Amino acid sequence: MKKTEENIENQFGNRKKDQPFKVPEGYFETFAERLMVRIEEEEQPGKKRSLYFYLKPVLMMAASFAFVMLLVYVPIKKFFPSTGKAYLAQQSVNADSIDSISVIPATLISYFSEGQFLEAVSEMKELKSDTFSNDNLADFIAANYSDYDVIANN
Amino acid sequence: MDSSEKELIANLKSDGNRETAFKILVKTYQVRLYWHIRKIVMNHDDADDILQNVYIKVWKNVDSFREDSSLFTWLFRIATNESLSFLQQQKRHSLVSMNEISDYLAESLESDVYFEGDEIQKKLQLAIIQLPEKQRIVFNMKYFDEMKYEEMSDILKTSVGALKASFHFAVKKVEEFLKEERK
Repeated sequence: MKKTEENIENQFGNRKKDQPFKVPEGYFETFAERLMVRIEEEEQPGKKRSLYFYLKPVLMMAASFAFVMLLVYVPIKKFFPSTGKAYLAQQSVNADSIDSISVIPATLISYFSEGQFLEAVSEMKELKSDTFSNDNLADFIAANYSDYDVIANN
Repeated sequence: MDSSEKELIANLKSDGNRETAFKILVKTYQVRLYWHIRKIVMNHDDADDILQNVYIKVWKNVDSFREDSSLFTWLFRIATNESLSFLQQQKRHSLVSMNEISDYLAESLESDVYFEGDEIQKKLQLAIIQLPEKQRIVFNMKYFDEMKYEEMSDILKTSVGALKASFHFAVKKVEEFLKEERK
């Protein structure tokens, strides 16, 4: 091994003490001072962050949203005052014009076959037009449901 | 451990003289520690950061120093560990394999404005970079710093026999690398 080591030394002459690496001028002279400054900085207790620090992003977003709304809403309101009202008038519907069929939820409809559904709708229209008493209800249930259905559903 | 070192340690652990003792400690070992770190990480800026981290660790943990080894051994052990941790971090961050750590070091060497060696010296450094981590450290400590195996054993917590074997393999590999380069 000694021979191998000597081979390496021979290749580089007697230069292993030559330091190819350098440092910036005055590096070691100023190192201790720089180190003490860093230690002082690290030992200072961290600044406590206020609630505003954490809410800042949310507040900024809300402010930008409000600003954009202001830019859009105010000119529309000022320059086209009738546009908004006209739109609402167009969108408003007469409550009386809504047919009872149209308010039946789609999910409910899916439980029935087409025939059952049409039958139920026609009965609903009949019931709606007539005065409706407890006797009518009892008759309707007796005609359409068995005792088992009534007990099972209760 | 001589009396002056014992006094220095006592002062480092006392509240009154701590800062003065710490400055003495920095001045005493900064040069040797720096060059030890620099040969592991190659680049001056990295070596500077690591050296500062070593002393900050010493400043924070001097009370837990058990004095079962010399200050020199303790400092060198921290410096070696910090340097190796730094290289591991680089490896994790860049998701590179062990071979590419040597690429990283070669790049560091090439880009380091504070490397002023000639082509021959650069070749030797590039050969050393190719060595596995532990062999590289052993090679530097033995070949350049001419450190005793017993001292190295205390710092690296490795038996003298294992260190001799590491150095032997390292020297062989460096020689082979240089032969290949000449072809």
